[in-house]
Amino acid sequence: MAKFASRRDFLFEAGGGLSGLALTWLLGQDRMLAAGACAGEAVTSSPFLPKKSHFAPRAKRVISLFMSGGVSHMDTFDPKPALTKYAGQPLSGKGDIVVRQGHPGPLMPSPFQFQRYGQGGLEISELFPNVAAHADSLAVVRSVMGKSNDHVMAHYELASGTVRMGAPSVGSWITYGLGSENQNLPAFVVIYDARGGPFGGPANWSSGYMPAAYQGTIFRSKGDPIFDLKPPEGMAPGQLKARLDLLEKLNRIDLAKNPGNTDLAARISAYELAYRMQGCAPEAVEVENESEATKKLYGIGDPITGPFGRQCLIARRLAERGVRFIQLYHGGLGNQNTDTWDAHGDVKSNHTQHAAEVDVPMAGLLTDLKSRGLLDDTLVVWQSEFGRMPISQRGLGRDHNPGAMSIWMAGARIQGGQAIGASDEFGYKAEQQVVTVNDLHATILHLLGMDHTKLTYAYQGRNMRLTDVYGEVIPQLAG
Amino acid sequence: MSYNATGMFLRFTLGVLGLAGLAFPAEVSFSKDVQPLLEARCLKCHGEKMQLAKLDLRTREAALKGGEKGPAFIPNQPEQSSLYRKVAGLEKPLMPMDGKLSEAEIAILRDWIAQGAKWEGTIGTDAPKQDLSALEEMKLPEGARQFWSFRKPLKAAVPRTGEPEWDRHPVDAFLRKAMLDRGLKVAPMAGPVTLVRRAYLDLTGLPPTVEQVREYTSDTAPNAWEKLIDRLLESPRYGERWGRHWLDVARYADSNGYEHDFDRPNAWRYRDYVIQSFNKDTPFNVFLAEQIAGDELERVTNDTLIATGFLRSYAKVGFREKDNPQFRYDYLDDMIATVGRGILGLTVQCARCHNHKFDPIAQKDYYKLQASLYGYVEVDHALVPEAEAKAYTVKVKEIEDNVKPLRAAIKEMEEPYRAKLLEEKYRKWPEHIQKAVFTPEAERTPGQVLLANQIIRTTNATAAEIDRILPAAELEHKRALEARIREFERERPKAIPVAAGITDGDYRFTPDGAGDEPAPGKGIKQEVTEGSFLCDGSTPYQAPPSYFLHHGDVHSRGSVMKPGFVSVVDDGSMPAALPPAHQRTSGRRLALARWLGSSANPLTPRVMVNRIWHHHFGRGIVTSLDNLGKAGDPPTHPELLDWLAVEFVERGWSVKRMHRLLMSSRAYRLSSEFGGGSNLNTDADNLYWWKFRPQRLEAEVVRDSILFASGSLNAKMFGPAVFPELAEEVLASMDKGIWRKQKDGPEVWRRSVYVYRKRGLPLPFFEVFDLPDQNITCARRTTSTVPTQALTLLHNEWVLNQARRLADRIATTAPSGPDAQLDLGYRLALSRPPTPEERRIGLEFLSTHTLADFAHVMLNLNEFVYLR
Repeated sequence: MAKFASRRDFLFEAGGGLSGLALTWLLGQDRMLAAGACAGEAVTSSPFLPKKSHFAPRAKRVISLFMSGGVSHMDTFDPKPALTKYAGQPLSGKGDIVVRQGHPGPLMPSPFQFQRYGQGGLEISELFPNVAAHADSLAVVRSVMGKSNDHVMAHYELASGTVRMGAPSVGSWITYGLGSENQNLPAFVVIYDARGGPFGGPANWSSGYMPAAYQGTIFRSKGDPIFDLKPPEGMAPGQLKARLDLLEKLNRIDLAKNPGNTDLAARISAYELAYRMQGCAPEAVEVENESEATKKLYGIGDPITGPFGRQCLIARRLAERGVRFIQLYHGGLGNQNTDTWDAHGDVKSNHTQHAAEVDVPMAGLLTDLKSRGLLDDTLVVWQSEFGRMPISQRGLGRDHNPGAMSIWMAGARIQGGQAIGASDEFGYKAEQQVVTVNDLHATILHLLGMDHTKLTYAYQGRNMRLTDVYGEVIPQLAG
Repeated sequence: MSYNATGMFLRFTLGVLGLAGLAFPAEVSFSKDVQPLLEARCLKCHGEKMQLAKLDLRTREAALKGGEKGPAFIPNQPEQSSLYRKVAGLEKPLMPMDGKLSEAEIAILRDWIAQGAKWEGTIGTDAPKQDLSALEEMKLPEGARQFWSFRKPLKAAVPRTGEPEWDRHPVDAFLRKAMLDRGLKVAPMAGPVTLVRRAYLDLTGLPPTVEQVREYTSDTAPNAWEKLIDRLLESPRYGERWGRHWLDVARYADSNGYEHDFDRPNAWRYRDYVIQSFNKDTPFNVFLAEQIAGDELERVTNDTLIATGFLRSYAKVGFREKDNPQFRYDYLDDMIATVGRGILGLTVQCARCHNHKFDPIAQKDYYKLQASLYGYVEVDHALVPEAEAKAYTVKVKEIEDNVKPLRAAIKEMEEPYRAKLLEEKYRKWPEHIQKAVFTPEAERTPGQVLLANQIIRTTNATAAEIDRILPAAELEHKRALEARIREFERERPKAIPVAAGITDGDYRFTPDGAGDEPAPGKGIKQEVTEGSFLCDGSTPYQAPPSYFLHHGDVHSRGSVMKPGFVSVVDDGSMPAALPPAHQRTSGRRLALARWLGSSANPLTPRVMVNRIWHHHFGRGIVTSLDNLGKAGDPPTHPELLDWLAVEFVERGWSVKRMHRLLMSSRAYRLSSEFGGGSNLNTDADNLYWWKFRPQRLEAEVVRDSILFASGSLNAKMFGPAVFPELAEEVLASMDKGIWRKQKDGPEVWRRSVYVYRKRGLPLPFFEVFDLPDQNITCARRTTSTVPTQALTLLHNEWVLNQARRLADRIATTAPSGPDAQLDLGYRLALSRPPTPEERRIGLEFLSTHTLADFAHVMLNLNEFVYLR
């Protein structure tokens, strides 16, 4: 892939030279004002121009649903009858039990009932009755193993493949590799929980050692989606337009004095894009215009399901508009025990509350994507930073467990209704077909038509990869 | 378990068929077939000496417990067993790493697992001990030392160009010669107004004032330019600008990063030290020595102690550091990466797990460097005389000794009430938990022991709860005791100033910082068997042993490493330890610093002059500032780079002298407004500097320039950081660590180098203008041009406020009317008057729009955010 030796190269790689830029600039005058210009039209200067994938992709975009705090796999997608059988007994034969906090307790059965769903007979707990109705679309991986039992390091591993800070996130890699199909919206959008950001904060969508342009852009789920998208109140509409006109005129005079300077031309073009984004970004989050039926589908209107429903519906609208990577977080910093999935104290009340917040919205998202024909080329990934312990903590809770977690994928024509891999009989460690986070990332890239060993970025004299020197595509999902 | 994806299912079925089919294999013998195979091919890395990926194959239990990738096998299920899958090539990585097993051997393992994986005892005990130290050695390839950057730089003769104006200055002669060799035309000289703005932005990070422009442009002395450079180098603003470049290299921040992102309340002292060092023009090799070994120097001062904050500027997890000694290896790795890339221009950290793939850097070189740093501990150096520090400690201890019995008395008095409250709380749990808690300890089942333990240890009664049920008399007594505690506490002396730095010691016994506390019963047990490396200076400090780590795995120790340097650039003339007279440190860091800053080191001076060049000329002679190795970019002007490197050392490692040298060249004063004509055919990227390379201002300079133009900049230097206002939603994205609420105003309108650097939450304004990741060393920032930058400068409330302030400033200073106001606006924002065309357009605009509209446009101009 491209190695940007200088910013000039960067622009060249991204844009394609002055003639294109100048042309855009000239054409831009009319386009800027054209209504309905949000669908993503030809732009020649942007780091996000669409790029070809390595091979035919199964998915064009990703919606990632991240449950922050650590979802208990034994209580959701990985039933463990052995926990009932051996309830109250110590977990033995597994070596030193490494707990994050406090003192290891005895084995604790799930307080939730499991049931088989769909033709594949996938077992899912009563926490997700609505998602379960899509069982035949879900491929559950029950043997994911992470590296850290620290919330933040585990978040970073899922976000970037490494527990250390400073590496680009999956969304950055994907937008770097594929660009975007819509130049009027950011290519990589992050919408986090209204209660606060996920553990680890903005580093989760950082572009690390890549140019900052590839970092995720925060979309607020209320008000203007992007910070500083619109002028503050009190500025008359014509006033800003007049300023922009003068700016353009003066910058043109300056450009004429600096022939061949692509940076300056690109900057003129960036103002034009910014102007268009002002119209397109708010339009993309206007869920109010959706039909009542659609809003209901996502649980909008209900105080429990409403907030995440809104996030999910915006995700669908962004997917429709060609945004490449849409990262939703559920569970936000605030009160760690009640606002995230971090069920140290009481897994029953914590997970009941949080599952209720996301079940209808996620099911609605899957239904809506399906009915619009979007699910076939959209990959939906449901994940968390780690699983939880089969033993109790503080009586009724569960501690962190990176040894085993369950994630699921849907869409992108992957085979639904299947469970891939397995954790041991208690859910303490992934056992059969252990899947690392690098493997997950390799699979996501594969579904987007990219070979994870070939998507590289030159840095520190090395061709860096999202998967470092590891990663294998999960064969059951490769198709 | 359903394996209904076709591929998996097929393989699984075939596996079963293989067992149940025609040739049911005979029973495999563990001792005859399997054990020899495991011993010969697997135990080298998964045996006694080493357990790569934490996998130990010496016993069945260990193999079943498995490693990072789960158990080695599942009895009776070869197709699900990673041991079989990896040797058979069904799963990557293929094992063993040193060559595939034969088909027959693979079949043995498969059949053995299928038959239940019977095992006998511990294996690998009688096998001859493998000599693993051979794996640690790497012979330098033939001619490795001949690579351009590994050779000692020599001054080549300065070339002659035959063009008198280019032959006067060595830098010009080298540059022009390279242009002539390629038939490149050269740009004309830039005008004085452009030059004065260029020099100010470059050296101070701020544009010149109207008066400063006039001062220079009206100076007709032949050495007016040299005088200007001298003035700027004397300005305290210089250190704020060039110190910031170094802070990028030092991955400086005011917080820890990671989950807790703890504040580093004293980090700013290191930032100030860097600014002062540049202002003082501390010789660069001394600057390095202070930062790496400021506690080991012959003359230790507060400044040199503060300087050790350099090595401590790594992002830190801040969670039970002593329970997690593996974190330390990552911090050491970060130090090695920072020293390697930032000072040597080598990616030494690539050799943590294997010999370097491109450069002749052995894995052992990495561990020699690690040994040089290994004794480090974090310490808060007291910045007061020793006697004063001691008196402080004594006084604090005295207070604590007085308070302790009082607290104990309170606790004892509260005890029965606490017990009552706890029992009430236990009664609220579900029945099975109550049962566990109330069953007498000796009668609990093993499960109840665990359950009771976790309830009892996590149930507390707060002081307020106890107070509510405490009888009046006892409550009164408690209050009296508390009053006496407060009396003692009133005498607590004010905390003495400290600097967050490092020294040598034993990290297991360092005081706990925020988040460091180990879990009860855990903590220092891990390596305590090795004894203590604490030292009070009465005997020489011994550094703890640091090992070669096979594959970088902390559990796979090889030989104990001696300290040392990167072999390919080490001529062996310098010692690897220089124990200081105070005996409290090993002197290994001092030796490392001396080697880094020695004229025998071919890399350090090249890297530094290249960095200085980069910041002046917009691109390094080697573009990859932190990689002068084989995978880095080759120098465009190798002889010039070497000439400058030698000159740098000869001029006493003085950075300011290099500024004077480079800026006094003609090349530095070329115009950037030059098309180039036919040059574009041969050197479209201007690699040969036939014109000046314009540079987008860095994030901090954009902010500072706005404050400067509007007249708002508060020039106060040094001290604790300031906190610009953040939107609520931005704050909500990261709630740990600190972000103080400070009102937007002069207190905050200080230079950007003083803005709080929070690892978990970079200031959005900086981030949008390409702030590099603050967690890893950064030599060269990338520059992107994206719409969000435009949105920020167009709509951000802070920017708009500054635009209004600029407008007010213009109106107040030039009340006479639009013509003068337009003129002043241009001079304040762009350091020049408008051209006639700009004047016409501007006046037309001002006839219908306000000065605020106009001022806002000035701050958005391309010219405003570019150094030209």
